[in-house]
Amino acid sequence: MTNEVLVELRNVGVAFSAQRRLNDNQFWALEDVSVTLRRGERLGVIGRNGAGKSTLLRVIAGILAPDRGVVKRGPVSCQLLSLALGFTPHLSGRDNAVLSGLMLGLRRREITQRLPAIREFSELGDFFEQPIAAYSSGMTMRLAFSVAIQVEPDVLLIDEVLAVGDAEFQQKSGAALRARMGEGHTVVLVSHDESQIATLCDRVLWIEHGKSVLEGSRDDVFAAYHRDLHLVEAAA
Amino acid sequence: MRQHLIELILFSTYAELRAERSRSYLGLIWWVLDPAMQMAVWWLLVDVILHAGGPDYLPSLLIGVTLWQWMKSCMIHGGYAIWSNLALVRQVRLPPLVFPIVAMLSDTVKFFYIFAVLLVILWICGYPPNLAYFGLLPLFVAMFLLSAGIGFVLAALVPLLPDLRFVIEQVLTVVMYLSGVVFMLSNVPSPLREILALNPIAVVMDAARGILMHGLWPNWVGLTKASLISIAACAIGAWVVTRFASRYPKLAA
Repeated sequence: MTNEVLVELRNVGVAFSAQRRLNDNQFWALEDVSVTLRRGERLGVIGRNGAGKSTLLRVIAGILAPDRGVVKRGPVSCQLLSLALGFTPHLSGRDNAVLSGLMLGLRRREITQRLPAIREFSELGDFFEQPIAAYSSGMTMRLAFSVAIQVEPDVLLIDEVLAVGDAEFQQKSGAALRARMGEGHTVVLVSHDESQIATLCDRVLWIEHGKSVLEGSRDDVFAAYHRDLHLVEAAA
Repeated sequence: MRQHLIELILFSTYAELRAERSRSYLGLIWWVLDPAMQMAVWWLLVDVILHAGGPDYLPSLLIGVTLWQWMKSCMIHGGYAIWSNLALVRQVRLPPLVFPIVAMLSDTVKFFYIFAVLLVILWICGYPPNLAYFGLLPLFVAMFLLSAGIGFVLAALVPLLPDLRFVIEQVLTVVMYLSGVVFMLSNVPSPLREILALNPIAVVMDAARGILMHGLWPNWVGLTKASLISIAACAIGAWVVTRFASRYPKLAA
């Protein structure tokens, strides 16, 4: 890990409209979050449901622009690991792999080179050339994951997607993703599974009600987070 | 980045066309059969039943309707493109202009099939190919840019104001009747003709009929004016989409 800062968020807030109505009130999914992401770092994001974790990932990915605060992003690619992006039922597995790969930021020649690997990893065999409308949901997810795992952005953003498919493929996909995270890539991981964050991340950001509560080493943040959880449970 | 976007646009266009082809049993044949049937209906109505408009009316009507259908489909499909792809917009960082461009390109590919049917009908009806066909190229470019401009503005506004969808079709029907699609500009009495000639769609319709039916080169002054308006419409449309780009990922699908 180097000290090169790839993405920096300072007091970032993002507001949404609840409904399409005239004079609709806005709500702040993120209110005040600050975080710095350095090259090679593996940052875990924890917090209760509705804390703003997924919104934070979309801000880092550049999908959402902040309504307040500052986002500084170096000349790096930040990609959210999205499954089945742009999948079209009447297209073959091959065509969907190309389309999804392009949407995930790969160039056409890169996808073409990786098609054999995608076909092999997805274990689809001859179904790879068939329209995905004929696939089971498990087969579709296998193809989706096989494409997504080919993408190698500077910053990989993962929102709960760690393993898909049946038990056997879950093991395989989980192992592939952990291997990817272990290769020195910069990763931001959102997960409800604390053990996964504890295993895979060096640093942790805790956010609550759209505000950053604590950012620091894994052990310190988890200790504070658990203390808070116990306090809330005791109060209840 | 730019090359990647071009690859994405071209492959998405191919994917959309291929998916549409796969959705029916006859697939590609419908791209030709559907407009041929529409033209047959016009022939039945105008020539067989009503005996309307004289010998040149039916071909001029077919030209007008074919070109208008292309422009209209670009405006409507392009106009709905961001709105119908909001789920994607929320997941991936892409310039939103990609979606209307893909919709318009796939409509344009289908138009070329339809246009081929139109040419065959015109040749059969005694309007042979001629050198002025080369004038179709700038004409088509101007028509595409104008449709794209209007389509971009609609694409920018429909996600923010989906209610617009209920009025777009009606407004475009009025535009069609004001644009010389079902009548020739030369048949309109003055001074109404001069007023209608300010409409760039009417200008390009007239130019297309001149080329395809009489081998006349377009009125370059008129076509240049129409092209400039088209370029301005396209630039304004693209600007409006870019202006609202940050709002789309926050909208509910």
